[in-house]
Amino acid sequence: MRLGIVRGHLTLTPAVESFQSRTLAILEPVTMENLHAGNGQGGGKALVAIDELGAATGQMVAFTEGREASNPFYPAPVPVDAYLAMIVDLVDVAT
Amino acid sequence: MFLARIEGTIVATAKHPSLEGCRFLVARRLEADGSAAAEPNVVVDWMGAARGSTVLVSTDGDIARERLGNNTPARMVVVGMVDAVQRPGASDEAPSPEASGAKRSVA
Repeated sequence: MRLGIVRGHLTLTPAVESFQSRTLAILEPVTMENLHAGNGQGGGKALVAIDELGAATGQMVAFTEGREASNPFYPAPVPVDAYLAMIVDLVDVAT
Repeated sequence: MFLARIEGTIVATAKHPSLEGCRFLVARRLEADGSAAAEPNVVVDWMGAARGSTVLVSTDGDIARERLGNNTPARMVVVGMVDAVQRPGASDEAPSPEASGAKRSVA
């Protein structure tokens, strides 16, 4: 999983059947530098993930990429490669 | 699989139900020259890795699925803690727990 900050949400019309009524979040991955600085900045390349937790814009989240991203929908075949797995309350990386 | 240095811990209340009770750490992938990747990873840990320790992380979700169920989105798992890394020709800066800990405190 990587860490990301929610930058927004999007809707799709039309969309493949398995994406209907799903929430999609735009995430900006966080670099170690920005994580240490705690400045609310990301720094990575933006991506879109399915969100079943209801993360709000500006919140830090952790997301899974790859085949494992579709595990929560098993055994249904859902064409997802990024899944928002948790909303981060606290990151402790103090030096 | 890759080597990573543990940088810290993560607390998350709202998460996928299968991740309940898991320990999550912030890990930074280590390159061959000992430098750390710019972007951190969140890894599941059942080994009790501490901050500053070097661990082996597997990106295969099989262990996670076995322990957390078929529906878990967990993927990166700490599969072992590194005692020492042998690299002929390299300096003494092998990412052993002591060395990486010292390096981290300097940074």
